[in-house]
Amino acid sequence: MKAHNTLRWLVFLGAALVMNFPVIATFVTAFKGPGEVMKNPSLWLQAPTLENFITVFTISDRLNIFAYLWNSLVAALVGSILPIIVAFPIAWAMSRRGYGRAVLFPLIVNIRALPLIIFAIPLYMVYSATGLLDTRIGLGLILAIVNLPLTLMLLVNAIGEIPLELEEAARVDGARLPRMLLRVVLPLCRPAFVTTFVFGFITGWNEFLFGLMLTTRVAVPMTVGASFFFASSGGGVQWGVAAAVMVVAALPPLLLGLIMYRRITGSMVAGAVKG
Amino acid sequence: MAEIRIENLAKSFGAANIIKNISLTIPDGDFCVFVGPSGCGKSTLLRLIAGLETATSGQILIDGRDVTALEPYDRHLSMVFQSYALYPHMTVKENIAFALRTAKTPEAEIAEKVAKAARILRLESYLDRKPAALSGGQRQRVAIGRAIVREPKAFLFDEPLSNLDAALRADTRVEIAALHKSLAATMIYVTHDQIEAMTLADRIVVLNEGQIMQVGSPRELYQRPANVFVAQFLGSPKMNILPARVADGAVALAGSAARLAAPPGWAGLASVGLRAEDCTVTAPENGVLTGTVVLCEYHGSGQQLLVDTAETGRIAAFTTANRDLGAGNRIGLAFSTDKLHPFDTGGTRLA
Repeated sequence: MKAHNTLRWLVFLGAALVMNFPVIATFVTAFKGPGEVMKNPSLWLQAPTLENFITVFTISDRLNIFAYLWNSLVAALVGSILPIIVAFPIAWAMSRRGYGRAVLFPLIVNIRALPLIIFAIPLYMVYSATGLLDTRIGLGLILAIVNLPLTLMLLVNAIGEIPLELEEAARVDGARLPRMLLRVVLPLCRPAFVTTFVFGFITGWNEFLFGLMLTTRVAVPMTVGASFFFASSGGGVQWGVAAAVMVVAALPPLLLGLIMYRRITGSMVAGAVKG
Repeated sequence: MAEIRIENLAKSFGAANIIKNISLTIPDGDFCVFVGPSGCGKSTLLRLIAGLETATSGQILIDGRDVTALEPYDRHLSMVFQSYALYPHMTVKENIAFALRTAKTPEAEIAEKVAKAARILRLESYLDRKPAALSGGQRQRVAIGRAIVREPKAFLFDEPLSNLDAALRADTRVEIAALHKSLAATMIYVTHDQIEAMTLADRIVVLNEGQIMQVGSPRELYQRPANVFVAQFLGSPKMNILPARVADGAVALAGSAARLAAPPGWAGLASVGLRAEDCTVTAPENGVLTGTVVLCEYHGSGQQLLVDTAETGRIAAFTTANRDLGAGNRIGLAFSTDKLHPFDTGGTRLA
């Protein structure tokens, strides 16, 4: 029995190693000095060093990692919170009144199926005409569009799961639509808000295409900024520095996911109606 | 408090006519119970009054004011839902205070009213709990507390006890009756349980297939049911309906040689109703009907019999006589004409 269990864990460990090999390799490389990167391809570190990270945070002649992080943070926050604000009332109307369920809802959800690149040229022209080019808000707005379908889908489902009697009770209790939405429906959607926020933030943070296309200097996000480090200070690719910048770029969404994970699951409506 | 008047109210969902042209007046302070089998439209009628459904035609008047087109929040009614419908993210106190806060009542007054409602419903020690941490009975009391905390024009109850266990149901029923006395409020109560209907109501409205079968006090309905449906719906076991006709001024029951004097107005008689407790068990030769006992249930206060009479089918009888009756015994059943409920061919009461 015990041997059986050990074997099982060994298999799991092997599978985890194989599947996460690129991630692990990048992580390990980030701690290798410039000399070791060239000589030692193994996952085993000979002389671990923080040199690459120090480089990442101190190169400031052309590259400013803090600016990239800040740009990504603002754009990802706008891109994840704005669709929730916009989608919540739409989701209620779709879920409870059936507005747009036949055509609009499938249409919005299927925006995700389109390759985003087809928006590139019109968007670039609109952005340059409206002055949104190379702004954090501009990048956030397009990320909001990217996130809207999933947000709407999750919120429509979340509202559909709230017992209708709760809304009816609120209406009989004298609550008009805005109060009912804010005091009864909204608090009960909290788990769905957390879920959509986490997914939206991660999607926004990791977005590369629009970041590359719509920003040049001021609003460059972390994903695009990270690529600048690959060939910083001329010459060939500095693999150690590149790995370190990838680790830094991956940390915020990773931490957010870990912190929020427990809140994503779990229902709010326990005790509302007899189950 | 208010009088509620319903005039020619109808409600259809697509092709299905759930409520068919109902007119009804519920006087101020009345405890009115809507009762009927599943799907009879009783809950829909209540939801129409609450404003949760819109009427297809007809009018609803509260205190003489036409509210048919008003939203629920403009009707000033309270409702207790079958599923309780407590706000799960709010504490008991917040649940009860919700309607008052909605009405922008001053906080001091809210605290006072919530405390009073909590005292009446014995919820004081649970005020800071969330609904998930309460038992079914406590949740039901919170739902009632939410309704009584403000002064609505009327209280609506939609099968409020059906999710409680039997003992709790009896207790809560007594509490609701006491609440009605102390508040002197108009209450409309929907149930499919005839015991609840009989014990709580000043006035029972029996519904079937979207129509009112009869309106009256529990006593009137039990003693003078207007039709076969009401006769069989109220009372347990349900009333026996025996085919009968009037011939030569006497009531003749199918399969019985006995002739009972027919009171005036029984001319169109097609069947008679007979309650189980109105039958007396006799020796076979002394009964109006004779039959064989098929089933004998001991109820403590008496015995309930199911008697197979060849011609008139199976008849339920209730006897307090502590005789040793068992399946297979041949007995007679005796009763007098004043215990019979006369119905015509359409099932409507005669006389």
